[in-house]
Amino acid sequence: MANRIDERLAGLAAGGRKGLMTHVVVGYPSLASTSALILAMDEAGADFIELQIPFSDPLADGPTIQSACEAAIARGARVQDAFTIAAECSGRVRAPLLFMAYANTVYRYGTEAFCRDAAAAGISGLIVPDLPTEAARHEGYFEACRRHDLHNIVTLAPTSTSDRMTVNASVASGFVYCMSRQGVTGAQLGLAPDIQAYLRRVRGHLAVPMAVGFGISDRARLEQVLPYCDVATVGSALIDRLAGTEPGDVTGQADTTRAFLRTLTPALA
Amino acid sequence: MSASSAGPTGTAVPPASSYLDAEPGAWESVPDALGHFGAFGGRFVPEALMAALDELSAAYEQARTDPAFVAELDGLLASYAGRPTPVTEARRLTGHIGGARLLLKREDLAHTGSHKINNVLGQCLLTRRMGKTRVIAETGAGQHGVATATACALLGLECVVYMGEEDTRRQALNVARMRLLGAEVIPVTSGSRTLKDAINEALRDWVATVERTHYCIGSVMGPHPFPMLVRDFQRIIGVEAREQVLALTGRLPDAVVACVGGGSNAMGIFHRFIPDASVRLIGCEAGGDGLATGRHAAAIAGGSSGVLHGMRSYFLQDDDGQTKVSHSISAGLDYPGIGPEHSWLHETGRASYRVVDDTAAMDALALVAKTEGILVAIESAHAFAGAFDVARELGPDATVLISCSGRGDKDVDTAARWFGVLPTDGGEAARD
Repeated sequence: MANRIDERLAGLAAGGRKGLMTHVVVGYPSLASTSALILAMDEAGADFIELQIPFSDPLADGPTIQSACEAAIARGARVQDAFTIAAECSGRVRAPLLFMAYANTVYRYGTEAFCRDAAAAGISGLIVPDLPTEAARHEGYFEACRRHDLHNIVTLAPTSTSDRMTVNASVASGFVYCMSRQGVTGAQLGLAPDIQAYLRRVRGHLAVPMAVGFGISDRARLEQVLPYCDVATVGSALIDRLAGTEPGDVTGQADTTRAFLRTLTPALA
Repeated sequence: MSASSAGPTGTAVPPASSYLDAEPGAWESVPDALGHFGAFGGRFVPEALMAALDELSAAYEQARTDPAFVAELDGLLASYAGRPTPVTEARRLTGHIGGARLLLKREDLAHTGSHKINNVLGQCLLTRRMGKTRVIAETGAGQHGVATATACALLGLECVVYMGEEDTRRQALNVARMRLLGAEVIPVTSGSRTLKDAINEALRDWVATVERTHYCIGSVMGPHPFPMLVRDFQRIIGVEAREQVLALTGRLPDAVVACVGGGSNAMGIFHRFIPDASVRLIGCEAGGDGLATGRHAAAIAGGSSGVLHGMRSYFLQDDDGQTKVSHSISAGLDYPGIGPEHSWLHETGRASYRVVDDTAAMDALALVAKTEGILVAIESAHAFAGAFDVARELGPDATVLISCSGRGDKDVDTAARWFGVLPTDGGEAARD
């Protein structure tokens, strides 16, 4: 059976469309709302959905996702909940699901067990932002991903040298995740000034499609990056919109999410 | 030149440069090229920092063999930091404990009041060498922040220090010191608002500004090459102490005892002694309210293997790998992890680690003050408390070298409250 990420990428290429990846933090605003948000994102046209497993020290994330992680953990979200929610949702959505988890979450769970259980829950790819390629090799992470038909999504940054792009390209699978700028996640800060040159440089090293994330807060920023990538990622901007809702208002959160995504999706065609 | 060539009759302390002349031996095989100390260490950081870590590794490899760099650092260590620091024989303290002969390596007498200056001078010179103009640092108690602000003032570098909001309140005087030295102090309001979160925030700053900024990590922790780099810059503590003890006693000490938070003073004093198989290396972790209460900062005794702040090591964490909040009366030891080389020394058995709780540390602080006239930092007091037990275990024929890593001026407020010796408490009503 083909990986659902590949099927979706092939579909995008065939239709001449760009893809949109969206983001939820498992347990934020509540465990009950997480599944509803995933379904709403799928309905509103998300092509890929990242489920971030909350971690106490998310050092690649800015204030929005830090607060969401903190709140999720404080409200009792456990690592196991991510697997439960993925299993509940993966059969009900068209968009492939990915886990975004920090290295310690994977390590504590056990790399092999994490990959096995993620695949069993219907997850199609993994993003581990603090597991660079050298460490991933050392941990046997790539082999574990391959054994369980998971794409390991590698990250590239504006400071990635040519050597590092080559190293990362050699292990890239599915697509690569390019940070639009140096720094942490967050909608406020915008894109790197030289983003076009940087993304062209990445393209030169890569055989797989490119996703771009960080700072894509609205349709204007989305339109700025789309010509240079295959998939755009919206994370903190979605979570910022949930911050204004009542934690228990699952319907309101889903409506807010759908409405925001529908302002973005017309840009993808 | 090998520092071990000087015999018992040697009186001269070796020149500071011998900190870079690592003697060959099995212990020199760590870390490997990827920064592993056995199963520990490594580099667990976002891709966005990898190029900077490669650059730092390359710059350090060049610098350590560049005579001009070594000479400049040696010059600063001698004429600015006040090295070598002396070894003091603690006669009254020895008599009071009734065990081994106690010798103190006096890092409290180094400029800025602790061993932290050794590392920051090295890293700030490296910063300049890499053409960077801005230095960021994390600090808990403020000692590393003050040292970094000092070195930046000396070398004309911009300095930003991240400090947990909780700690800026507990250590207000050190915040003022850093600001007087020209540094910007940024209170961190995320997470538990302590050292752990200050490190997260410094790493986030670094990801965004890495092209012009160096992150001057204050302990033997973080992603490779930091644990090695900081160890090498602190190694001078043990290189000097080994010669000084040989000169004073005619033989090696039977044990070397140091406190361990991240563990830089301990790695610094231990490292030269690692090949000396007869010398016991003993680290003292902060036991807070006691290991059994769960309110402590003892990563080896009460933690498990994990990945945080760019490294694999021992951490306080729950079953999901979420970091637990640490507790210690000593802000400098109040960290839920430990440097990876300590985890490795623990696992190989070359060093052993004990737990010293708040009460034992404060009792030691009071005793050292009254018997030797030295007010030590609360961090260092943990080493003294551990060393008293070691001294009794080894008996009067043995010698124990204690790392007196810092002075206690910053802790007067905490200690005064603990013992109830402020004028408003009625003076002598000591709590013991």
